[in-house]
Amino acid sequence: MKRKFSPLSAVSIVMVCVMLALSACSSSSNSPGQASAPSASAATTPAGGTASGATSEAPFEGWVEGLPKIEAPAGFNWRQFEGTKLNFISENTPPSSALAANIRIFEDATGIEVNIEQSNLDLVAEKVGLDFNAKNANYQIIYADPYQILTKHSRNLVDLNTFNNDPSLPHIPGGTEDFIESQLQADGYMGDTEHLYTLPYDSPTMVLAYRKDVFDKYKDQFMKEKGYDWTPSANLTWEQYYEIASWINEKVKAGVITEVKYGSGHEAKQHDALQCDFSNVLGAYGADYFEGENLGSVGAAKPGKSLLTSPEAIEAAKMYKKLLEVAAPGSTTWDWTGVAEAFAAGELAMAPIFHENNAMFEDETKSKVAGKVAWSVLPKGPKRSANLFGGTGIGISKYASEKEQKAAWLFLVWATSPQAQYMILKSKEAGSTPTRHSVYNLPDVQKGMEPGTEESKAMPNLLPMKAVLEAWKLENVYMRPKVPQWPQVDTIIYTELSKMLFNKQSPEDTMKTIAKKSDEITGA
Amino acid sequence: MPQWTRTIDRASAAAAAVRPHKRAKWNRTEFWMLLPSMIVLALISIFPFFFMIYASLMDYSLSLDEPVFAGLDNWRRILTSETFWHSWGRTAVFGVSGLVLQLAVGVLVALLMYYIPKGRNLILTLWMLPLFVAPVVAGLLWKYLLDPTYGLYDWVLKQFGLNTQILGDVSTAMPAIILMDIWEWTPLITLIVLAGLQSVPTEPLEAAEVDGASGLQKIRYILLPMVRRMIVVSLLIRSMDILRYVDTITITTEGGPADSTKTIGYYLMQVAFRFQDMGTAAALGLTMLVVTIIMGNFFVKIMKKGED
Amino acid sequence: MALKRKTLYTALYILMLAAMVWALMPIVWMVLSSVKTQVNMFSMPPKFFFTPTFITYREMFGEGGNFGEFLSNSVIVSLATTVLSVVLGLMGGFALARGNFKRENNISSWIISTRMAPIPAVILPLYLMFAKAGLIGTTVGLIFAYTTFNLPFALWMMATFFKDVPVDLEEAAMIDGCSKFEAFRRIAVPTAAPGIVATAILCLMFSWNDFAFASVFSGRGTQTVPVAASLLISQHGIQWGQAMATGTIIIMPMVICGLAVRKYLVRGLSMGAVK
Repeated sequence: MKRKFSPLSAVSIVMVCVMLALSACSSSSNSPGQASAPSASAATTPAGGTASGATSEAPFEGWVEGLPKIEAPAGFNWRQFEGTKLNFISENTPPSSALAANIRIFEDATGIEVNIEQSNLDLVAEKVGLDFNAKNANYQIIYADPYQILTKHSRNLVDLNTFNNDPSLPHIPGGTEDFIESQLQADGYMGDTEHLYTLPYDSPTMVLAYRKDVFDKYKDQFMKEKGYDWTPSANLTWEQYYEIASWINEKVKAGVITEVKYGSGHEAKQHDALQCDFSNVLGAYGADYFEGENLGSVGAAKPGKSLLTSPEAIEAAKMYKKLLEVAAPGSTTWDWTGVAEAFAAGELAMAPIFHENNAMFEDETKSKVAGKVAWSVLPKGPKRSANLFGGTGIGISKYASEKEQKAAWLFLVWATSPQAQYMILKSKEAGSTPTRHSVYNLPDVQKGMEPGTEESKAMPNLLPMKAVLEAWKLENVYMRPKVPQWPQVDTIIYTELSKMLFNKQSPEDTMKTIAKKSDEITGA
Repeated sequence: MPQWTRTIDRASAAAAAVRPHKRAKWNRTEFWMLLPSMIVLALISIFPFFFMIYASLMDYSLSLDEPVFAGLDNWRRILTSETFWHSWGRTAVFGVSGLVLQLAVGVLVALLMYYIPKGRNLILTLWMLPLFVAPVVAGLLWKYLLDPTYGLYDWVLKQFGLNTQILGDVSTAMPAIILMDIWEWTPLITLIVLAGLQSVPTEPLEAAEVDGASGLQKIRYILLPMVRRMIVVSLLIRSMDILRYVDTITITTEGGPADSTKTIGYYLMQVAFRFQDMGTAAALGLTMLVVTIIMGNFFVKIMKKGED
Repeated sequence: MALKRKTLYTALYILMLAAMVWALMPIVWMVLSSVKTQVNMFSMPPKFFFTPTFITYREMFGEGGNFGEFLSNSVIVSLATTVLSVVLGLMGGFALARGNFKRENNISSWIISTRMAPIPAVILPLYLMFAKAGLIGTTVGLIFAYTTFNLPFALWMMATFFKDVPVDLEEAAMIDGCSKFEAFRRIAVPTAAPGIVATAILCLMFSWNDFAFASVFSGRGTQTVPVAASLLISQHGIQWGQAMATGTIIIMPMVICGLAVRKYLVRGLSMGAVK
């Protein structure tokens, strides 16, 4: 079968190449007129030389003062891949919806057609795995979740350094240093920092959402009864969080508090979400899953032995079980979506939630808590506050043709550029928060982080950003271990934790079981 | 039902007793008529089948370039794994109670429809609606109905003082999944059995009436035996799918809580797509195939027995 | 006696009513919810009376919504696989019923066992084949994928039906000079018509409802309605309004279809029921 098909496909590839070459010739002859028309600055560059003489600006609209520009070597023909069709498979997240809605900007400037296919993450991982296995490159651009996809499939992704160092191609605008460093490491690398596999694309992070109205209104009463200021901040501990949650539950039962139904809620369904929720507590207690080093940043093929039998981990597990005992009973049915919806429905006074849900909370058609939500970093444990990072980068399939790979590189440069990230942030799809330092330095973005400003209404996801920027600091962020066996280990973790929550096993036994089973998987 | 249809049905039923004469010379035409189906089936079924056997002997991860021969490692691993046997245990609960309840309710409703004098067509049409709600959508719908925050059924239960998380509790999640399956697929059984009931000739019933048989006796001794084959057919159709389709579980509980709804079908999906361990998945899949075939053969045997 | 009969019927109808409430309540709620505003959807206690709004439907079919595309994909794929399976199944089933093959029982049980394949385990080999043939993400690929479960089903159903269609008429036609195939086309097929309709409806239903294959083999532009429904669960909330509207829309064509052919369906399924 193989033999029969290869000459046929070779012939068709040749034919396609010839046709593309022909069309490229014809288009390059009239491209100067087209390219210079939309952007005036591109026309001035060769003549004036205001910018460094060796570069020319990209023809994409949407740049604003203060952001690094997308630039290419002088004379670079942005339309040289005209007619190329690219398929981008992504999780169905707001940034991809925002990109899909604005893809015209890229297509008009380059003549490259980009199909953005969106599925839920499990399906994306499944389809990408199958596509790689068939060496098929049905998808040239991959939303490579660092934990489910990158760890297993880094070898199937192109090393982006080859393009970024290629003098004939445009480079990452602002350089890799404009990305938030911890995110670049987690999203982009696997095993070492020599090969760059993806560029950071989105950045959801778990922080604490709480009801400002409730916490203001009953502040004095709580102070009187318990003797401390309960407003969530970096100083709050998980112990106190537990106490606050129980206190609110009591007051709700007594009919004193009517704004909410429960003190806290968690994403504790038997699902990836449960592991995420638990990791926050685990990290806060100074424990981690494996003994290997740098697993959260660059990752490794072998993570070493499980560390879950450590006293810190067992303390964390006990704490987590306690937290769930007072959490809203629906917690065991909620993944990240469920807990966010319950919060939006006004059921919960506080919950650890991925910050990008704020767009939903501030949308009055979907939420009863618009204008009442405030954010803080997650409570701390004996060691620190640990806030789980859940971002993802996008990469290029190794099995795509060279031409497709280069066309895909143009897309990556644009889609992760400061100006595209800024556009995603402002889009009505209420996209994700940028992965770029430069965007956060823009004056209107700064203003948007303050409650009540016009900018915060236009970009509701900026409201949690103060807490999130704090959470992204190296001492506060929690990065899951990047190991190829993670999907299996993750499943073991959340399955056993779920058993623990239903009293099928004690926290100690749970940690021991996870350690034993995950060591079997990782061969440690 | 108009009289003429019954007559035709009776005629065809009578004619069916005459077995077709099979003659060798007919076979050539038949061979060519069967061939296209066989080719298509061979492509989409034989190749995957042998591939499964091959993969089950390999260390076959989607992220590896080339699968590596692993002997019986995969088999040893699944056969000694707790998860595997527990999943089969839960599958047995799910499959058996699902099939039995669907059958009981399905036949009961078919009998009800058979006996009611008016409105049968309308009622049948309405009753069939759940069949056409794709399982994914059915999963979403039930998730919505049972949601602890804004679910209608959850609210109703709360009015009766039952404050449980239906899909989030180990004791209720599996029954809920079974009920969803029953909701979706009982109409199929009703439809097939009702079709059988409607073609039961009237003579034996009239004779029984004359003999003074009670209604229940007529059902027990005449109607049910005569639709026995239809019952088995509907069971066979359901048993082919009940193990392998896990759409509702995927949408609602994803195997939880505490693994209480992790059936073998869902476990297979996890291994194949989440773990991307195709070797183990193939071994798991083969065990499912074997069990399904045994189940199918069992039902076919019952059917054949009824024919003799 | 009349009184007794009356109580009996009352009891039957009450039981029937209970069954209907069980079956229809979710659907009624789904349809109601699809014309609610978001706020009404989530209000507690549940609202049965409200001013309906069609905003969800407008979102799905209007500008920016591509539900029409999902729907037409579903229709095309389901119809195509049904036609393919029923036509092949018709011929093959007839051949199986009339022919005198060696090991006929083995062939039959193999055919039906192909419908039992555990989907996640066979998706990889199918994917590899489809990738070689360039069928990933295409409508044609999806049609083939659906044929994996529809063709064996159609073959099996048709073989059962033809076994119960009297052979005499065909023999008579052949004595009059018809070829075997003509006898099949002119005599056997019309006689088995209700059975064909019943098989087709069931095939249509199986492919209409499929998610396992569609989720893998469809790409952007060929996604079907169940896949679209699964996309409503995203990292940032489930779009319940659209989910309920999707459910409402997804049953419509089948309801119409079912109503149109219900008579055939029942008669077709009853072919060969009673010996």
